[in-house]
Amino acid sequence: MSVLNDFLNGFWNENPVFRLVLGMCATMAITTQAINGIGMGLAATFVLVCSNFVVSVMRKIIPEKVRLAVFIVVIATFVTIVDLVMEGFFYEIHKALGVFIPLIVVNCIIIARAEAFASKYPVINSIADGLGMGLGFTISITVLGMIRELLGNGTIFGITIFSKSYQAFLLALIPGGAFIALGLLLGMMNKINEKLGYKG
Amino acid sequence: MREIIRLVTVLTVLCVLAAMALARVYEFTKDPIVNQRRLAKLRAVEAVIPEHENQPDQDTVTIDIGEGNKRLVYRGTLEGQITGIAFEVSSSKGYGGEVVAMLGLDPNGLIYGIEIVRHSETPGLGAKITTPEFRSQFKGRSISNTKFMLKKDGGDIDQVTGATTSPRAIVKAIREGMEFFNDHKDTITEDKG
Repeated sequence: MSVLNDFLNGFWNENPVFRLVLGMCATMAITTQAINGIGMGLAATFVLVCSNFVVSVMRKIIPEKVRLAVFIVVIATFVTIVDLVMEGFFYEIHKALGVFIPLIVVNCIIIARAEAFASKYPVINSIADGLGMGLGFTISITVLGMIRELLGNGTIFGITIFSKSYQAFLLALIPGGAFIALGLLLGMMNKINEKLGYKG
Repeated sequence: MREIIRLVTVLTVLCVLAAMALARVYEFTKDPIVNQRRLAKLRAVEAVIPEHENQPDQDTVTIDIGEGNKRLVYRGTLEGQITGIAFEVSSSKGYGGEVVAMLGLDPNGLIYGIEIVRHSETPGLGAKITTPEFRSQFKGRSISNTKFMLKKDGGDIDQVTGATTSPRAIVKAIREGMEFFNDHKDTITEDKG
């Protein structure tokens, strides 16, 4: 597999949200606004690229028996760095994302990529994989955030799309609405894949 | 045995490196974070008090409210006179947990403004307590001209459409804040705290 394929993999074939269905906790919780999707997505992308890089560099010296402990130390370190830097320099978005920044530690996408990809493949491929997966995650949750924000509040990225008289569809903003919107998007992607003759 | 030593060595070295990296980042972000937190609080205080020329977080009074709890009161001054007083009020009776508001008063005990500092209320329903429409109705009210309860509960405050619990929690917090101010008025408005 080429580096480009590794990069593109995360956008569609193995899109973390819509194909692998990983990282659901953060996905459901923060996608009430499109901007949260970007903030969360980029924070997770940074962690993913860094952890994939470190795990890949160390893949020959990490003992099999303690590999999960090693992954967690690496991931937790980068998450703490992101948490501190965001609070210091992007205070508003840090406040909006709240506890979900520290919770990137337990976002399954990151440890899944460390285990399934970075611990087996060279550094360049691992970085490409982390970047692709991270951006695939970012786009997915931003789209979900746009849909929920539009239906629930009549805006996208805070810009008013529906006029003031729009009767907000509040279901979109509560967790139940997140499941429904995600389910519809998942179904749509499966339908498209079926049409393309993709074997999932 | 050799294997155990190898496992321990790898983990130990990794943890030491991680700790060193975090220490560097912590040092680097320490001041910006303190500054951001201070600015966030200061913005809330300045939004709820009348014109002033000082930094209200540099002129504070700490008041003992019993049971080991203390309340920090911010004071805004203009030409040596206190023009505004602000402090945080909170209630744990919100729909999604704690709601915290910054309550701003003029020296006579009339509400100048309130800001919702923190809440976890339902978007579109309880979260309407953050709208200017809800918050502005408190302006000019005081403990002597207002019964700080929702109209539904026999008071003077309008609830918001579709939500009772959240505004009830905020009103309760404000009522307690007003009583607190009334009890400690002299200490708060003394020239030096």
